[in-house]
Parts: sequence; C-alpha cells; structure tokens
Amino acid sequence: MIDLSRAGALPGPDGDGRAGGGRCDDRLRVTLRITDGRIAAVRFGADACASATAAVGRLAALAEGRTLLDAARLGLRDVADLPSPDCALTAVDALHAALGDAVVRGAGAAPDVARVGVAMSGGVDSALVLAEAVDEGRAAVGLTLRLWIDPAAPAPERACCAPDSVRRARDLCHALGVPHLMLDLREPFRAAVVDPFVRGYAAGETPNPCATCNGTFRFDALDGVAMRLGCGEWRTGHYARLVARDGRVLVARGADPLKDQSAMLALVDPGILTRVRLPLGDRVKAAVVDDARGRGLAAADAPESQEVCFLGGGALAPFLARQGVELAAGPIVDEEGAVLGAHAGAVAYTPGQRRGLGVSRGTEPLHVLRVEPTTNTVVVGRLSRLGRRTVPLRDVVVHAPARRVEAAFRVRAEPIPGVLEPDGRGGAVVRLERDAFQAAPGQVCVLYDGDIVVAAGVVAG
Amino acid sequence: MIYLDHAATAPPDPRVTDAMLPHLTGRVGNPSEPHAAGRRARADLEAARAEIGALLGHERVVLTSGGTEADNLAVLGRAAGGAGRIVVSALEHPAVLRPAEALARRGWELAVAPVLADGRVDLAALAELVRSGDALCCVMGASNITGVLQPVPAVAELCAERDVPLHVDHVQTAAGADASIAGLPGRVTAAVAAHKLGGPRGVGALVGAVDGLAPVAHGGGQEGGLRPGTEDVAGAVGLARALELRQGPDAAAERVRRAALRDALEARLELPVAGGSVERLPGHLLLLTGFRGDTAVRLLDERGVCVAAGSACASGEPAPETALLAMGIDAAAARGAVRVTLGPETTEADVDGVAAAWAAVAAELGRAREALA
Repeated sequence: MIDLSRAGALPGPDGDGRAGGGRCDDRLRVTLRITDGRIAAVRFGADACASATAAVGRLAALAEGRTLLDAARLGLRDVADLPSPDCALTAVDALHAALGDAVVRGAGAAPDVARVGVAMSGGVDSALVLAEAVDEGRAAVGLTLRLWIDPAAPAPERACCAPDSVRRARDLCHALGVPHLMLDLREPFRAAVVDPFVRGYAAGETPNPCATCNGTFRFDALDGVAMRLGCGEWRTGHYARLVARDGRVLVARGADPLKDQSAMLALVDPGILTRVRLPLGDRVKAAVVDDARGRGLAAADAPESQEVCFLGGGALAPFLARQGVELAAGPIVDEEGAVLGAHAGAVAYTPGQRRGLGVSRGTEPLHVLRVEPTTNTVVVGRLSRLGRRTVPLRDVVVHAPARRVEAAFRVRAEPIPGVLEPDGRGGAVVRLERDAFQAAPGQVCVLYDGDIVVAAGVVAG
Repeated sequence: MIYLDHAATAPPDPRVTDAMLPHLTGRVGNPSEPHAAGRRARADLEAARAEIGALLGHERVVLTSGGTEADNLAVLGRAAGGAGRIVVSALEHPAVLRPAEALARRGWELAVAPVLADGRVDLAALAELVRSGDALCCVMGASNITGVLQPVPAVAELCAERDVPLHVDHVQTAAGADASIAGLPGRVTAAVAAHKLGGPRGVGALVGAVDGLAPVAHGGGQEGGLRPGTEDVAGAVGLARALELRQGPDAAAERVRRAALRDALEARLELPVAGGSVERLPGHLLLLTGFRGDTAVRLLDERGVCVAAGSACASGEPAPETALLAMGIDAAAARGAVRVTLGPETTEADVDGVAAAWAAVAAELGRAREALA
C-alpha cells in the first residue's frame, strides 16, 4: 500500500532531509516536528517510483510518535518487504537525513549516563567498538558525520544515495538494534577544514588536514552531538590511548606502532577528552580485524579510509584545480637558478618530495626544497639542504608543560629529541638534536614526552 | 473493481467459454488418431482452423500456445539457413524484438526502423532499410503501448516490391481493428492471441505465408510440421469464437461505442496523450501523467482501478517503454506513462469511476511533489 496521508511539508520544520536524484531520479524529502522530545509529526514530499513512495509513506507513519533515538532505529528492515529494495533505501536515506538535520538544529535526548555514543565511519574499527559497547549492555547510539562534498566534481551528488560508507555505518548499527544518526556537516567542514587546506597549498605550504579535522572540527562536532543526545560518554575507533596526568586527560601513542593515530588527535581539546573513550588504543589492527571477522561484522573487510579522506583517493593537483587553485606550468630550478625541468603547477608540490619530479642533475637524487608560489617556481636540491635543527612553530597548543620533547613531523617518521621553547605569544621554537628533513611549512609538528602528546604547533617557516 | 487493462488480457467472454465447454468436459479424442473419437476431434479442429483462416484472410493457420510463440516462430522460423538480415520496427513487442536480437547474437544483421513522433513507423526510413534479399521485415499492426495503428498495407507493399517476407504482430490489432491480411501483397504472416480477445490464455495462431518456415520446436508432425504437440481442440474453438466476436460483422458497432467512451475519458482527464493525433485502437489511451507511472498505477489500484504503467522499475533501474522513447518522448515524460485500455464490457460508469479516481490520485501526487519545493 502507498500511504500518502502524510504527503506535504511542515512549515518551519525541526528536521528536514532529502534523498535521491540518482539514476532513477527518485526525489524524496522528509520534514519533522519534534515536541517534548517526541516526533509529533512527519510529512514527506515525493516524486518517485512506487517502492520509494510506499517506503517513505510507511517510514513517516512509523516515525511519528517515537523519540528521536527510537526513530533512528528505523531502517531497511522496516521496508524490506517492498519490491525493489534499492528504491526503498532512498526513503531510509531521506528519513535519516531529516533525523540528522534535527540533531544538527539542536534536537536531542534526555541525559542517560549509561548511553554511549559511538563514532561510526563504516569501517572495521568503529564497528568493533560498537559491537563491544553493545556486549557491555550499554545503550549505544551510532554517529556518523557526513563531511565532504565536492561541488565541482563531475557528479558530486548524482549517486542514488548518501555515500556507501554512511549506509554501511547505519546498517552495522541497525543489525545490532542500535539507533544511528547521520549529521550532515558538509558546509561547516568545508569552511573549517577544506578551505584552509586549499589556501595553505595555494600559499606554498604543506597543510596537515587530519590534525585540523580531528582537532578543531570532528571531535568538537561529535562531542556536541553526543552531549545533546544525553550520552554519558562517547567512543571512537582511533588507535591512540588516553592517559591522565596532573588531572588532565592527554593523548598517548596507541599500542600498534604501525597504526598509531595519536598525532591526528594532537590538537583535540583536552576538555573534550574527558568524555571520550578510545577502546582500540591498546589493541593492534590485526587483532581488531580478527575479532570483527569472528563476530561476523559486515565491515570486517571494508576498505581502509584514505590518508586525506576528502581527496577520496584522487590526486592532489586535480583536487586543488577543482577547488579553484590556479595551476600553471612553470620551471623546476636548482638553488643556483638553473632550470632543470618543468612542472604543471608549483603549489601541488611538497618539500621533501622526490617522486614525480622528472628532473635530474648528475646521479644525485633531487628533492623539492621549497615551493615559491609568487614566481610559480619549484626549487629542488639535495635532501641534506632540507635539514635543519631549529624549527619555528605557530599556533602552538600546550596540553602539559614540557621542555624535553620528541618532535614528529610526519606519521611514522622517527621522532627527533629536542627542546621546546615557547615564546609566550602562541609561538615556539623547537631546537632539535638531529637534522629534520621533513619540517615543511604548514605541517603540524607533534611534540611527545615519551608516548604522551604534550604539545603541537604548525611549522611556521 | 474497474478493469481497464484489456491490452494486458481481456476478461473471458462467456460466449467463448460456452463454445469451448463441450470440448473441455465430454469430448475425447486426439485429432491425429484415425478412430471415431479422433476423427471427430479432427473435424472440430479443422472447422475452427477454417474459421480462424477466414476471419484473418488466409487459409494457412498454425495454432500455437499464444502470441509470443507465434511471433517467435515467424522470426526464428526464417533462420534455418545461414546468417541473414532482418528489419524490425522500433515499436515491436519483446516477442518479436527479443528473438530478432537472438538472431543478431548469432551473427545476423539486425536493422531497427525508426518511429515518427505521431507513433507510426517511419515509412520513408523503412523503405531505405528493407532491401531485396532480407530474410524478414517485422512491423506490428497496432502498438501495444500507444495503440497507434501502423500503415500495414503500405509496409506490405514495400516489402512485396523487394520480395521480403513481412510478419505483422496483430496481437493487439485483433482486439479492436481489422486484423485480416487478405489482399495484402507479398508473403505476409500475422500473429494473434486468444486471451486479448476474451478467449482462453495459452492459445494463439500464426496465419499466412508460412511456407518456407522451419519449426522452432521438434516433435510429432502436427500443424504441417511447424508446431509439434497434440492439438488443443478446445483452444482452437475458443480462438475461432473470440476472433468472430472481435473481427466478425458485429464488431464494428462495438468499436465505435468503445472509441466514444475512450474519447470521453480522454477529454475529462485533460492529460497529454501519446499517439493521440493519429488513428488508434478504439479502447487504447496512453496517458503521459507527469507523475511516476508505476506509482500512479499502484494508487489507482488502491482505489479499485486496474490500469497499466508504461514503464517498470526493476531494482532501481527504471525502464521507460522503448516504444515511447522511439517516438521522441523524453525519458522523464515516458516514466509517467499510464496505459488505460477499454474493452467491450466497459461502461460509462467505469469511465466516471476512473476519472474520479484519477482526480483523487493526481491531487495526492501533486501534494507529494509540491512538498519537494
């Protein structure tokens, strides 16, 4: 049956979500009114096939009268009997877009210390964190941030659906009877993370978006949502540990040296970390995958996320071009100014980079020494020319006072011992015991005391 | 329930059922046996065959299990020799198109003749496409989608000039227009199916110039060696009676009545119609609703109205009717197609009921679509 009794749109809704527009051009919209913590009314718009229309009509009826979290349990299982499940899926997407939008606009749930939020990426790590929270008997709620849209890409939203990873996260939750909410934060993410990344490259720097993303965006957003939903704590699948020191919670290296993600969390506000749990910090990846397989979790073999996830595995140069960075051919020169070759856009090069230069001078390996955006020039030379022992930092965050530190400029690079000398104005200088070759301007420098992240800053020059 | 999906299948006509009943209840006998029971069955079968031949204008009648088998025999039966060339119109029913495509996979050359915006096959293009030496040309008598009558005499003329056999799928035509191939020049075959005419399902015929065809199925030598299997006497009698009711002398008045009802419905619905500018089958109305056809059909069904969608959505891959796309109707409009087909028992009250149901459905769908803005 197709129930059109809720066809329409609520004026000034508390939640508003859309889905569709793919191959079949189905278009659905769901609007919600929330009163006293319950979904008092649901209305939907549709220009869609019979299955999608029937599904959205049924989900609208099922959602009415539920709490937000209870409605977030509605999913494909509730419409699986309809013909053409692909089309019914569009209706699930639309309902969940509206529920997530309601949370973004401020809707929530009454506090419950037993409730635990789990940040779900759709991958294996967060899937295991969720499964273990359910095993503990906690009332879990899955949270997934939808962060990226590339409006200039050939077909940004023409896929029939929200991205597969969001659906996978939702399916993992629903399979365990757990509500799932997707928060669409694409516009603020662009402003907070992607635009600075693009501007940094355009200025010839090598920005590190992962630390910025987690430190200034993702954890803030997840914490805000988890608190609004009344969670007593929330968890992620990062491979890092949290340790207490002098009454503060600090990030420390994870037990798996190959997966350690402590550097990514170096900029996260310690105030937030008091509410965060990182259950995979003392685990190794291989054991996590085995556990997930043993539990039959669908995400056990999901693809690993990319290092810079919004590049979507694509190349840097075309991404920058799509974001409006002008890439023009120019010279590759050595330090004496001799032209050794040509590049297709200087700002897409990174200091220390050796591959893809296509130039040579004798038999010595050449590395990018610096990028000069004003003259659109890439300067190359011997790696040793990059070496330096004094590195100025800006935007320094100190989590715990420390003088003797180890400085890490790249993931998995050997940290270099040194001394941190803050200037008291948000800047600092690290004096290193050995040459650093990869301290490119714009990179985040993470400063450890043993395994503990005590400070971080951005390489200033 | 208001049943306006006669093009899919027509309700059994009691006059047909009555004619068949003796052959289903008492009489025994295989027409191929020489004893008395067999001889009587043979006589009944041949009487029905003669009647079918007379109504469709050719004495050669091969009884089949329906329209699809008749079409397959007409196409694949030409393919006994080596690979050749076949021309079909873009309007053809899958029962013609798919076997033609099967030949193409076997190395045959398949040419598809385009369709004019009014829903008729493009005769000028067809004249270019059909060449002397082609194994077959297929142009249906009336579109199962739009109901538009095709220029069969002109097609037969151009095929005869090139000495190319012509197959006409008359499965829809027989329900509401002249399906006789009498007087057509050249070698012409035609397919019909009883269930579109108020007769039984599982009975059809291939009529006309069947010499030169090879059987598709192999077995006993029945039906002139073209269609093995013990003959269905009751089915043949049913097909003959159903054809008589739709093609016989009394059919004309009923067609006029049906067309008037259809025109009245069309005027009340005020929707764009595909094929409305040329002559159509009297009960056929292809509406371009502007909404999703399959959704509209389901909602009408919930109001007790049975009509057909012009497209089916199969797991997220909507397939608008190729016959509509061939007319130059864009995919979005084609997805809104709803086919309403009237029959001899359709009444004015049915038309009123459909119009009222449509008004309610259109209002609901309009509300749902406006909410997207």
